Amino acid sequence: MKILSISTATNQLSVALNEDQRVITEKNERDERNHSEHLDPLFQEILTENKLTLKEIDRFAVAIGPGSYTGLRIGVTTVKMFASILHKELVGVSTLQALAAGALSDQDLVIAGIDARNDNYFAGAYLDQQEQAPICVIDDGHYHIDTLLAAIKKYYEDHPVKELVFVGSGFEKQQKLLEQLEIPYRFGTQKQNEIHAGLIGQLALQEKPVDADELLPKYLRRTQAEADWHQKTGKPFGSDRDYVEEV
Amino acid sequence: MINLDSKKDIRILAYESSCDETSTAVVKNGREIESMIVATQIKSHQRFGGVVPEVASRHHLEVITQITRKALEQANVTWNEIDAIAVTYGPGLVGALLIGVSAAKAASMATGIPLIGVDHIMGHIMAAQLTAEIAYPALALQVSGGHTEIVLLKDPTHFEIVGDTRDDAAGEAYDKIGRVLGVNYPAGKTIDEWAHRGNDTFHFPRAMMEDDDYDFSFSGLKSAFINTCHHADQIHQELNKYDLAASFQAAVVDVLAHKTIRALKQYQPKTFIMGGGVAANRGLRDRMEHEITLLPENIKPKVILPDLKLCGDNAAMIGAAAYNLYQDGKFADLTLNADPSLELPYADSMLNE
Ligand SMILES: Nc1ncnc2c1ncn2[C@@H]1O[C@H](COP(=O)(O)OP(=O)(O)OP(=O)(O)O)[C@@H](O)[C@H]1O
Ligand SMILES: [Mg+2]
Repeated sequence: MKILSISTATNQLSVALNEDQRVITEKNERDERNHSEHLDPLFQEILTENKLTLKEIDRFAVAIGPGSYTGLRIGVTTVKMFASILHKELVGVSTLQALAAGALSDQDLVIAGIDARNDNYFAGAYLDQQEQAPICVIDDGHYHIDTLLAAIKKYYEDHPVKELVFVGSGFEKQQKLLEQLEIPYRFGTQKQNEIHAGLIGQLALQEKPVDADELLPKYLRRTQAEADWHQKTGKPFGSDRDYVEEV
Repeated sequence: MINLDSKKDIRILAYESSCDETSTAVVKNGREIESMIVATQIKSHQRFGGVVPEVASRHHLEVITQITRKALEQANVTWNEIDAIAVTYGPGLVGALLIGVSAAKAASMATGIPLIGVDHIMGHIMAAQLTAEIAYPALALQVSGGHTEIVLLKDPTHFEIVGDTRDDAAGEAYDKIGRVLGVNYPAGKTIDEWAHRGNDTFHFPRAMMEDDDYDFSFSGLKSAFINTCHHADQIHQELNKYDLAASFQAAVVDVLAHKTIRALKQYQPKTFIMGGGVAANRGLRDRMEHEITLLPENIKPKVILPDLKLCGDNAAMIGAAAYNLYQDGKFADLTLNADPSLELPYADSMLNE
């Protein structure tokens, strides 16, 4: 099965072509602006180099979040359209699971995170499962560093692991708090700290495809405006779909 | 003579997502709407009293694949019958624009159908093309939530701004004074209705009306309006909301009409067009039509006012403008990006000021 996979979740743009488990090519580009200009040309480059057309791709995979909201939407919109128009399979993979997958090793607990500023992180913790996808033991969420570390400590007390591995962005600046955990830990290498579309493709192989209409980013956070409105009015958030009407 | 019947029909699938409406449409030959889907988010943003960009972007993504399919289904066509895919790439909210742009580019890549990027304001003006044929040169009064411009159309793709607002746009002014009167966003339609039930008793200022240019200013009017309301509040005086609305609308329509008529006299276009959400305003439509009937016969332009449902944001107008760009061979490639501050070019007369 040919899988084309992407991540636009961070300022690293990553696109890969996999044949089943094997990564055929992966292209990475650092891109401080939104990924709109570079994503499709990068796809085109991979397809041309491999003498393929989009129609020959069997499954599309995308980092579905958490991550930069705008970035996520560019990636998700693109593969939704591909899958919907070409009637191909579509899979969304957790950005954090994909990050963790690059740093797994036996007996370690991998904490994957994306800096969300002010000591907040989009983060989750994962364990190696050998042949299978890494298993999530602390749910992907938006955490203050204190909350995250408390959850890690609690997990460690019940399930001692050899070492903690922090991958992603923004953990280095928390070194003082990490020392206080008194659990052996290390940071990911530069390569591990970046999201690799090849890994997304591998994880996507084990997932059940979803309906292209239904695939939406996992932002893991409501907007400030909605949170304020909810607090002010006490009204339930309601389903997003109920707010959009055809006229 | 070219035999028009033997020419192949050009069908364009268009996307619009610059603000709080996600829309798709199939337009034939730039004139005929074969389908138009508009998914509006107004209900969502009414919670906040105005459009919240991040919320808007999220909603656009929720419907994009569904409304693509629907536009094709309702037009009863397949991708094979589509000659170009068009999309608004600016101006507007960047996150919102990016959904349409990403979707249109992906669709173009998946199908091999060429891509056309369209300026949203060119789109608003070209809504007129869906109502009647435009003779060039034409002059347009573009009045919407973010723009108030007098635009000279030299031909179907070369537009020039000859007059512009120096501060608030007309629609923005309607929405702001609407808020003071407790009217839900977007307020224009309700204020228009109220205006027809009241009289101009407040005589608000008509800014820049006699100035020797085609520019506008609405912030003074807005302040005068707000001050009047606040003052009445302080002395516990109840003002008639219909008269307030009528007075506000009279001031807006007066300046818009006065300056537009002067521009018509100077540029003497073959067609006069109105575009944008405020072009749905009954007071403004009636006034412009009436004033134009008073122009001397030799400079009286043909008047095209778009259908009410085509004044607000929609993809059909984008498809209409895209047809003209298609005829001109103006295509985009896969590097197309959203440009939130895209502007039509200014006329030299504006730049030399
Ligand atoms: N009947 C009416 N009278 C006056 N204003 C109206 C009327 N109907 C709608 N409007 C106003 O039109 C505006 C919306 O128009 P439109 O959707 O064209 O603007 P926009 O897309 O937000 O901005 P722009 O097109 O300038 O980027 C709102 O400000 C609304 O209040
Ligand atoms: Mg508009």
